[in-house]
Amino acid sequence: MKVTFPHLGTMHIFCKAIAETAQIPYVVPPETSRKTLTLGALHSNESICLPFKIILGNFIEALQLGADTIVMVGSGPPCRLGLYDLVQKVILEDMGLRYRWLTIPPRLTWQAIWKNYEETKELKKELSWKNILLFPYGLRMGWKKMMACEALEKLAMKVRPREVQKGETQKRLKKALSGVDEARTLRMLDETLQRGTALLQETEQDFSRAPLKIAIVGELYTVMDPHINRGVEQKLGELGAEVTRTSWFSTHILRSLRKNKADQTSERIRFFEASKAYLGYDVGAECNLSIGEAIVRSQDGYDGVVHLMPFACMPETTASGILTRVGKDWDIPILTLILDEQEIEGRIQTLLEAFVEMLQWKRKAA
Amino acid sequence: MEEKGRIGIPRALMFYRYFPLWKVFFEELGWRVIVSDGLGKRGKLVYFEDSCLPMKLLITHSMDLKEKVDHLFIPRLVSLHRSYIMCPKFRGAPDIVRLATEGTVSILDETIDLRMREHSTLRALLKTGKRLGVTEKDGKRAFQKAERFFLNFQKGWEDRINGLPLKQVFHLESPAPAKNEEKPFRVAFIGHPYNLFDTDVNKDILSFARSLGMRIITPDGLSEKEINAQVSEFSKEIYWSSGREIVGSLFHFLSGGVDGVVFLTSFKCGIDALLQEFIRRRLKLKGGVSIPLLVLSLDEHSGREGLTTRLEAFRDVIEQQKIRNPKHEIRNNPK
Repeated sequence: MKVTFPHLGTMHIFCKAIAETAQIPYVVPPETSRKTLTLGALHSNESICLPFKIILGNFIEALQLGADTIVMVGSGPPCRLGLYDLVQKVILEDMGLRYRWLTIPPRLTWQAIWKNYEETKELKKELSWKNILLFPYGLRMGWKKMMACEALEKLAMKVRPREVQKGETQKRLKKALSGVDEARTLRMLDETLQRGTALLQETEQDFSRAPLKIAIVGELYTVMDPHINRGVEQKLGELGAEVTRTSWFSTHILRSLRKNKADQTSERIRFFEASKAYLGYDVGAECNLSIGEAIVRSQDGYDGVVHLMPFACMPETTASGILTRVGKDWDIPILTLILDEQEIEGRIQTLLEAFVEMLQWKRKAA
Repeated sequence: MEEKGRIGIPRALMFYRYFPLWKVFFEELGWRVIVSDGLGKRGKLVYFEDSCLPMKLLITHSMDLKEKVDHLFIPRLVSLHRSYIMCPKFRGAPDIVRLATEGTVSILDETIDLRMREHSTLRALLKTGKRLGVTEKDGKRAFQKAERFFLNFQKGWEDRINGLPLKQVFHLESPAPAKNEEKPFRVAFIGHPYNLFDTDVNKDILSFARSLGMRIITPDGLSEKEINAQVSEFSKEIYWSSGREIVGSLFHFLSGGVDGVVFLTSFKCGIDALLQEFIRRRLKLKGGVSIPLLVLSLDEHSGREGLTTRLEAFRDVIEQQKIRNPKHEIRNNPK
C-alpha cells in the first residue's frame, strides 16, 4: 500500500506528517506544475472548475509514481466539490489507472462513517498494529505541523510588504516551511518553528512604510493554494500590500468538526451576518462569506479586496455579481480574478500592479 | 372578479416547468399574470453577472417586466425534491434580480425547499398570497385548483410539445392537440427544462427536429422510479435533482426505446459540465452504446445554422442505424 494525497497549499505537509509518523508508506505527488495542470485539463472539460483539474493532475502524477491509495477530503452540497470524487474515480478508471479511494468525511454523519468503514475494510488488512497505534500520534503531529505552517505563512504576510530586498521573505518562508516538513518529533518541530519564525523576523525590513491593507476572499481552494491562484498572495505582498485571508485549512477543519468556539469561526459568523443585506439565503460554499468579508473589511478600514474564483464556479459567480455592487455601496475597490488553466501569470501580475497603484492613489486622495 | 393588480413572471429558468401552476394560482386570486416576451432575434441580453445563459435571461426578462407590473414573482428555489437540491445559483437568483432592477419593483421571493415541510410549494405560495393580502382559505382553494390544472397540463405535455408551435407550448389557452401525426424517429431530448424549451437558448431547435421527422420525447414523462433505476448505484451521491434527472433519463433512454438521444447543455453550467464528463466516461467503460448520442452546448453566441447542420447529420446517423439493424430496439432490450 502506498498512500497519496493532493497538493493543496500546505495540506500535503499535514497528510505527509500523518503517514510518516504512522509509518504508512506514501508518495507525495510532484509539486504542482504546468504539466500537472495540463494533465488535469486534458482529462476533464472546459467548464469544470480549476481545483478539480489540479487535484486530478496531482492524482495522475502520483499514481504514475507508484501510489495506489488516494486519500481525499470530501465535501458536501451544494457546490461541485462534493461530487469531485464520483467523477474523478470514473476518469481515473477510464484512463486505466488502478487505485483505491479513501474519502475523509467532511462531516461526521452515519452515512459518512459507513462509507468510510466500507472503504477502509480492505485497507485495514494491510495495516499493521504499529500503524494503527501510531495513527493518533500521527494526527497530532500533522495538526501541529499544519498550525506551524500557518503561523509561518501569516508571519510572512506581515513581513513581505516591508522587506527591503524583494523576494527575500519568500525565500526564507520556503526554507522555514521545508524545515517544518522535515521535523520528525514534536520537540524538533517546536525548535524548527522557533528557528523559522526568527529567520522570517530577521528579514531586513523598512518599518517606515505604511503598507496597503488588502483582504483576499473567494473560493477556498483558490484562496489557499498558491499554485491555483498563481501566487497572488506573494505578488501582492511584494507590491507592498499587507494581505489578510480567513480561509486556512485549520479554519475549515475546525468548522467541519463543529468546533465553533475559535475566534476565526466567530469571524465567519460576522461575515455571514454582514452578507444578509445583499443575499437572503445561504448560497453555499464561500459565497456569502466573500460578500460579507468584503463589507466587514471596508468597515475595518482596509484599502481593497481581491476576490478569487475558478472559472464557472457556481456559488462565486453569484458572489462576483453582487460584489460589484458592494464595492460601489461601501466605497471599497474590489478586484475579481477568474482563474482557469490558461497561462495568465503575466496578466495577473499586471492586473495586481494596476490595482495596487490605484489603491495608492485613492489613499493619497483621501 | 375585478383585477387586483399585475404579477410578472419572467420567462426563464423553472418557468419552463411550473408556469401553469403559478399562473393559475395567481389568476384564481384575481391577479393578472404578465409574462415577459421572448428575446427574439434582435433582443438584447442584459449582462449583470457572468453566469450561464439561462441566468442571464432571467435578468433580461425581469428588466423587461419591471415597469409593467406591480410585483415580480421569482421564488427562491432551493430544492424541488424531497431529498435533492437545485443548483446553488437559484438560491441567489432573487437577490441578483433585486440588485439588477435596483429595487424599483417588489419581488415575491418566498423560499421553496421541499426538503422541509415549512417550505413546501403550498406554504410558499400561501406566504406569497399573504403578502398580497389573501386569506389562507382563498389561497388553499386557489392552490388546489392550480395543482389540478398543472397535473392535467403535464399529462398532455408530450402531445403539446409535438403538436403545437413551440412558441405556444406555454399558452395555456391553446388546448393540447388530440393526436399527432406519426413520425419516423423517436428522439429523446434531455437537459434542464430551461435549455430544452426556451427558444432563445436553443434557437428553436425542437421545431427543427420536428420538421426532420423526429418525435420529441422529454424526461418530463418519466416517473421517478424509471429515472432512479439507472442511477441507483450512485444514487445518493448526485445531490442535484436536475442532475439526477439528466443522468437517470439519459441512461434510461440509451438502454432502449428511442432511436437517438440529444443532450442540450448551456455553456458554463457547472452541473452539466461535471456530469457530462461522468456520463461520457461511464458509457465508455460500459463498452459504448448502440443508440446515437448528440451533445449540443449552447450559449448566446451559438448560431442556428451550426445547430441545424449537426442535427441534420444526426438524423442521417439515426436513419442509417435504423436501416442497418431494423430491430435494434429489440436488440437493446435482451430481456
